[in-house]
Amino acid sequence: MKRLRLYFLAPSALILAALFLIPLLIVAVYSLESRGAYGGVTPPFTAESYIRIFDPLYLKILWRSFWVAGVSTLVCLILGFPLALFISRAGARRGLYLQLVMLPFWTSFLIRTYAWMFLLRDTGLINTALLATGLLRDPLPLLYNDFAVILGLVYGFLPFMVLPLYTNLEKLDPALLEAAADLGARPLTALARVTLPLCRPGILAGSILVFIPCLGAYLTPDLMGGGKSIMIGTLVQNQFTTARDWPFGAALSLFLMALTLGLLYLASKRSSGEDLL
Amino acid sequence: MNRRTLFFAGLTGLAGCSRSSQPRLNVYNWSNYIGPQTVAQFERQTGIHIRYGIFESSDELLAKALTGNCGWDVVFPTNHHVTPLREYNLLAPLDHSQLPNLRNLAPGFQSPEWDPQLTHSVPYMSTSAGIVYNRRQLGQLTRWADLWEPKVKGRMTMLDAQDDVLGACLVKLGHDWNATSEAQLRAAQREAIRQKPLLRAYLNAEVRDQVVAGDVLAAQMWTTTMLPVMTQAPQLDFIYPAEGFVRYAESAVILRESPRAEAAHRFIDFLLQPEVAAACVMAEKTGPVLAGVRELLPPELRDHPLLFPAPQDLARGVWLRTMPPTAQRLRDRLWTEIKSA
Amino acid sequence: MRLLSLYAVAAYAFLHLPLLVLTVFSFNQSRFTQWEGFSLRWYTQALADSALREATVNSLLIGGAATLLATALGTLCAYGLWKKKAPRLTGMLYLSLMTPEIVTGVALLAFYQWLFHFLNLHLGMITVILAHVSFCLAYVVIVVMARLRTMDATLEEAALDLGANEFEAFYLVTLPQLLPAIVSAALLAFTISFDDFVITSMVAGVDSETLPMVMYATARRGVSPVLNAVSTIIVVGLGLLILISERLQTKT
Repeated sequence: MKRLRLYFLAPSALILAALFLIPLLIVAVYSLESRGAYGGVTPPFTAESYIRIFDPLYLKILWRSFWVAGVSTLVCLILGFPLALFISRAGARRGLYLQLVMLPFWTSFLIRTYAWMFLLRDTGLINTALLATGLLRDPLPLLYNDFAVILGLVYGFLPFMVLPLYTNLEKLDPALLEAAADLGARPLTALARVTLPLCRPGILAGSILVFIPCLGAYLTPDLMGGGKSIMIGTLVQNQFTTARDWPFGAALSLFLMALTLGLLYLASKRSSGEDLL
Repeated sequence: MNRRTLFFAGLTGLAGCSRSSQPRLNVYNWSNYIGPQTVAQFERQTGIHIRYGIFESSDELLAKALTGNCGWDVVFPTNHHVTPLREYNLLAPLDHSQLPNLRNLAPGFQSPEWDPQLTHSVPYMSTSAGIVYNRRQLGQLTRWADLWEPKVKGRMTMLDAQDDVLGACLVKLGHDWNATSEAQLRAAQREAIRQKPLLRAYLNAEVRDQVVAGDVLAAQMWTTTMLPVMTQAPQLDFIYPAEGFVRYAESAVILRESPRAEAAHRFIDFLLQPEVAAACVMAEKTGPVLAGVRELLPPELRDHPLLFPAPQDLARGVWLRTMPPTAQRLRDRLWTEIKSA
Repeated sequence: MRLLSLYAVAAYAFLHLPLLVLTVFSFNQSRFTQWEGFSLRWYTQALADSALREATVNSLLIGGAATLLATALGTLCAYGLWKKKAPRLTGMLYLSLMTPEIVTGVALLAFYQWLFHFLNLHLGMITVILAHVSFCLAYVVIVVMARLRTMDATLEEAALDLGANEFEAFYLVTLPQLLPAIVSAALLAFTISFDDFVITSMVAGVDSETLPMVMYATARRGVSPVLNAVSTIIVVGLGLLILISERLQTKT
């Protein structure tokens, strides 16, 4: 067993230690220094950046980000589950269908977002079509609001939900469902009582993969939301660019990470002591 | 020593940058900010091979240059980033004897306020930001204050950049675009929050399509972004607002880390020729900084107000300045408050 | 099941609608999002652009190498963690997912600078690939792990009882069952790597500009149909590649 662990875990541990942990320590040092006049950091050491976080202004932004990320994750789960179910039952076509999910994501994120902006804007495809039917007199405000932000996030991270769900569902033994049917369970009941509980690991993995990047997203809220409100990702991004306040940016992101980690820990405690990974 | 920066900022460039024997030069510029043949022409004339890279924002450039080992030789920061680069000792001093074409600079650019002696930077292109609007639907606009009128409600955008939004609010109130006073900045912030209900969105160049299509009737926008499409959209008009507006100058600098100062000088001097500059202007529709370029342009560009603002307009323009740290922090805080309002 | 198929059609429409839009506009005569007639001008422009070509090749190389490495290491890692928990490593994996991209980017840049103090290297393909491996790793582990957790450990034990050693048990028994998960993990890793802008733009050097970097730099001056054309070429190219490999797989 010892040997096994060494061979199987050491390469990843090494990569993470070198390319993640050490850089993270550098960030931790940054967060405790003072800001350089035009970017970068400079002595003396201070905890000022951390104290600044506890400002109602920033806490409100944090709260909003968690809320938006949470809603997006939920929508992803609701939309992603049936799709994953469909793919897992598609027989020989499974691989193809799976890749069709990923296909749009090989274009640049920016280009996809621009395409959505075209679809949703006042003179865009959807509004033009709706107006042409005569159902509406004025275009629907589809862009530059929370709806657009969540739509953009759901679109952007749906594959992150579908993939782990699929790998989970694909493994489920069809015999279990047959057994449920034989015992008189209707398909939906079987889904709720048999499939869903067995999908716990996939749901958990997918939710994490969606929730975390949604929390840190910055371009989607800016472009789809029209920059009218700010999320934590944009705030952090600003600190390293226009605001040139690296220590505050570093402190903010470490605080965000600690918060998310705490949340995950609580979630894993709640889920009957089961580990997430 | 209070200017000591990140712990790696002091590092000088490492050796071992040149891999082939052919002399080369690494140039890092804004996207499409050069004539289509300019690089090839320089390579033919000098035998120096150019590796031409493009960056997305001047902030990104600053972050990379701060490392003191980014590998680029000639880069093109916006004027307000020249000061930070110089203060952090990241720029190589320019040798004017290797830049005979400096004499071609237009009078307005011979002694710019961010580098009066041109010791470390040479202006390259110049742009500004004003208001683009749909004249057919809105009638004549003249001022920033027009963007606070109910008639633009829901059909107007501002740039998604704190300096531009706060700046417009400041000049609307009669203050300096680059104000650092807390009272003035707070007043400007209240102005921006007052404007927010009228606003469709804070957007940058992405909004161009929607201005042309008519979704958006008025937008704060850069000249460089709008100029290429103005002829195809006759309903649009661009103004330099009466209260004042901001100007930017992209500047050529040589990084201190560069081991190829001589080639770098040659390249900058090459760009300082009116014919070369004219090709860049024609390709990219950005304001020239050299005298004698205007005459080389085709008629439709020669008198274009977006390239050559009328003197009475130009008089109202101010250069974007580098903010001192305290003002920068306050501005960011106010901007965050505007966004959260 | 019919309802499910109907839903799937709608879901794929949702996923592919933007793709359709940008494909249509890549053939548009006008440079705006108003249809003016069919034209291939953006394609000729895209193909003539050497910077775009170079960046595409770079992106494919980086994406390919990073996917290969991250998938291999991540699969091994997931398997090792499945066998026996390693809370510290698990924590690191989670943290690496949680770091905002810009922070990863700035931190990696600082780290590389510090490293170059001792090694005669500079920013380039290698630094970008290593960065991509490190941020793709956690995604691979999570996807593979989601599969492992549904698997029966007794199968391997049976193999061990029958005289296989640990590696044979892994290679002959578990790995084949993991294959679908490994494929989806690799897909995910490639997609993330291929689309990354923030981190890449920080750690890329003079000769390692990627496609997203060129796209962002170009698009900041207003969207250009050339970018639509490039996107279409890539999607169609990679799509065909997948279709062919799919055909080959079903044949064998």
